[in-house]
Amino acid sequence: MADKRINTNINNTFLRKALKNFATAYPIARAKAFEGIDFAALRHRIAVSKLAGLQRLPELIAQFTASAEKSGAIVHFCRTPEDANRTIHAIIQSKNADFLVKSKAMTSEEIELNHYLEARGVRCLETDLGEWIIQLAGERPSHMVMPAIHKNKEEVAELFSAEIGQECPAEIPFLVEAARNALRRGFLSGQVGMSGANVAMADSGAMAILTNEGNARLVTTLPKTHIALIGVEKIVPSLDEALDIIDVLPKNATGQKLTSYLSFIKGPTVGDDRELHIVLLDNGRTDLAANPDFQAALQCVKCGACANVCPIYEIVGGHVFGHIYVGGIGLVLTPFFHGFDKAEEILKLCIGCRKCNEVCAAEIDIEGLIVDLRDKIRKPFGQKFMFGTMMKNRKLFHTALRAAYLAQKPFQSACGRIRHLPLILNRETANRSLPPIAEIPFRDLILKRKVLPAPAKAEKVLFYSGCLADFVYPEMCSDTVESLEKLGYSVAFPQEQSCCGIPARYSGEMDVAREMAKLNIDVLLKEEADFVVTICPTCTMSITHDFVKLLADDPLYAERSKRLAAKTLNYSELAARKIPPSPPLSKGGETAKQVVTYHDACHLKRGCGVFEEPRQVLRELANAEIQEMSDCDKCCGFGGSYSIKYPEISQEVLKNKLANINETGVGILAVDCPGCKLQIEGGLEASGSKVRVEHTATLVRERME
Amino acid sequence: MNETTVEKFRVAAQMIGAEVHSCGSGLGTANATGRHFSTSNELSFFLQELAAGRSICASTLPEELQAHLSGLVVSDLSTAADATLCISFADAGIAATGSILVQLTDPAERAATALATKHAVFLRTSSIVPTLRDLSASLKAQLLGAGPTYFSITTGPSRTADIERVLTIGVHGPKELHILLLEGE
Repeated sequence: MADKRINTNINNTFLRKALKNFATAYPIARAKAFEGIDFAALRHRIAVSKLAGLQRLPELIAQFTASAEKSGAIVHFCRTPEDANRTIHAIIQSKNADFLVKSKAMTSEEIELNHYLEARGVRCLETDLGEWIIQLAGERPSHMVMPAIHKNKEEVAELFSAEIGQECPAEIPFLVEAARNALRRGFLSGQVGMSGANVAMADSGAMAILTNEGNARLVTTLPKTHIALIGVEKIVPSLDEALDIIDVLPKNATGQKLTSYLSFIKGPTVGDDRELHIVLLDNGRTDLAANPDFQAALQCVKCGACANVCPIYEIVGGHVFGHIYVGGIGLVLTPFFHGFDKAEEILKLCIGCRKCNEVCAAEIDIEGLIVDLRDKIRKPFGQKFMFGTMMKNRKLFHTALRAAYLAQKPFQSACGRIRHLPLILNRETANRSLPPIAEIPFRDLILKRKVLPAPAKAEKVLFYSGCLADFVYPEMCSDTVESLEKLGYSVAFPQEQSCCGIPARYSGEMDVAREMAKLNIDVLLKEEADFVVTICPTCTMSITHDFVKLLADDPLYAERSKRLAAKTLNYSELAARKIPPSPPLSKGGETAKQVVTYHDACHLKRGCGVFEEPRQVLRELANAEIQEMSDCDKCCGFGGSYSIKYPEISQEVLKNKLANINETGVGILAVDCPGCKLQIEGGLEASGSKVRVEHTATLVRERME
Repeated sequence: MNETTVEKFRVAAQMIGAEVHSCGSGLGTANATGRHFSTSNELSFFLQELAAGRSICASTLPEELQAHLSGLVVSDLSTAADATLCISFADAGIAATGSILVQLTDPAERAATALATKHAVFLRTSSIVPTLRDLSASLKAQLLGAGPTYFSITTGPSRTADIERVLTIGVHGPKELHILLLEGE
């Protein structure tokens, strides 16, 4: 089912173009909106104040309720969507009304209010243009801020023509004017108005609403009864905290400095029996706020930026990448608001590139929460054996990888690469060839290698290669060892090292991941060494971040994991310590600089915060001149097993990357990740490109000859 | 109030699609779209032009402004749904975003400023502050005061980009926002 929807959306040309245009325009508009503003400081303040608020949410709710009631509002606390629907229906009935005019509220989508009311004879009219379009189409929003981004003007014209009863041309200004006139009648005849709120303030009982169209002002003004449906996590202590959210919201959502209208409403305004009903929606929020593992999800201010930058959202859109709330945070909130059964499929769709974390207005580790939630969903058949039995047993796992070398032989082409894989593995791999598993893995090669006498006082480095480099790219490992030795390090390869456990963790097998972490910690701390170096950013991130998190409560390993994390570096960080190299690397004087373009691996840039060092190393140690490509830090679509689970999506993400590489016209792509190399090299090879893809370590080693 | 803040306000407001005009003698007119009115007649004539022969409604304005506009036929706010132009008065301006703060606790005024096709707002240059945060003390006092309250910070005309992300002006609220700068206190 999910696969079918994925393919339908991948093949939806308009949707793809709309999302791609937006993905291109958004970062530029956003950067301009944030000019002169310290985004990091702003979002940190929001994160701190939101978290503090969540930790005393019941108190904030009580304070807000008292303040709002003092101002004359009637406050209803609703624990479930059913409560909220029933309460709202009762208010409408008490006014003898059968027509509700609405401005945009995600909470209303969350409780499926329109459906509930219309089944009971109450007509609902969405007045936000995008919401009206999807209401007419009978769909749900595909973006929190731009609900109808998936609809083109021809489809809108068709919907409007049918609704208004007059032929509407597919011209945007005409359509907007038609909506103005049609909805104006709704505003003037609506008996009850409904809005959401972007933020609510406990000390005053006021709420703030941001809109561009001006419909919220009409909805909260023309009908004498105003119902505001507000998620309880929107309550902040005072205007001070609210202003930070108001500051960040439009900039992060659409790249606007401020929306056209920012309205503050406190109490029912005077005269002619006006009423303000505030319906506070819980729907799992107070429980989530009290859950230390996942409470950060409620720091969300609903800006939608996580969708705006997501490479997967860009390919499949919000109807696939989310349930009612879409984008990265939608994946996280869905199990808590709508149940784990609704979240099972979508939680797997995240590729783990962490781009969302970089822009999140509330500093939420969205990707981390998604990975942690996978632990709570049902695991596919066979996964327990794969991770629980095989990967935990290093010898069994490595024996299986060696056996795979023989099994793949029939599929190799003349050049040694694999164009077609057997069985399910060959699904959608036509756009990417795969490198074969090496005949002799690096762990065997190194045993035969002559160990050079290390210089006195050389810093000792333990090399943790990662499985992919060990078994597929042994030469990349050799280049690492050789270049580091040349730079003056003494390098050793502990044979008992095994998989870092990331595949298990990403598949929600936390216990296995914990065991793998312990095993590797023991191996890497057994020998005295100054540093541990990895050439796979996912392994680096795993050791420096995930091991510590997984073992934080372990009496013995909490300290060990921190000790190991402190001395673990990625190759480029370790190499950069020796700039300028002494003695100089190249023997034969200055040679011409080679031009390279650089792809930032997701887990190196956003998992480890490393992006300067690789460029320094390329310039200073590999004699390279870097010509940057567009979106150099955007995911290549590999994501480990993701490219096998969702080959269709992975291929589309890859296409964007290949286009950016080709646009530079450069002959060498430098990467610091064997996974990115596998993905991009395969894509380039399949498309007939001659661009070489090399790990930075290889380019440094080549320079030494 | 220093000139730079006013100038910043003017630039930011125009950038977001508002038209900024000035009333009085000392204010410069160094902008392409803005008009300058030195007499009451000029101002009234301009507003009449905006209304294009249809009705004008206005909220309660400061007395000296009422005197300036005495030549204008103005109906009360209840006629807003049919009015082309709504005239009102802003409490403050924000230079960083070109926004104006309007008090809308009166539902009739709220409806009028939202329903009219064009909105003309008087703003004293002395009430322009650099950023939204500079208003926070007074806004907070208002929010914490007794009784209900409603105010809006308006930035440019009503807009939407909900169809194919194409920016279109004037979906539900006013299609034109004219800010009339008044010199002095």
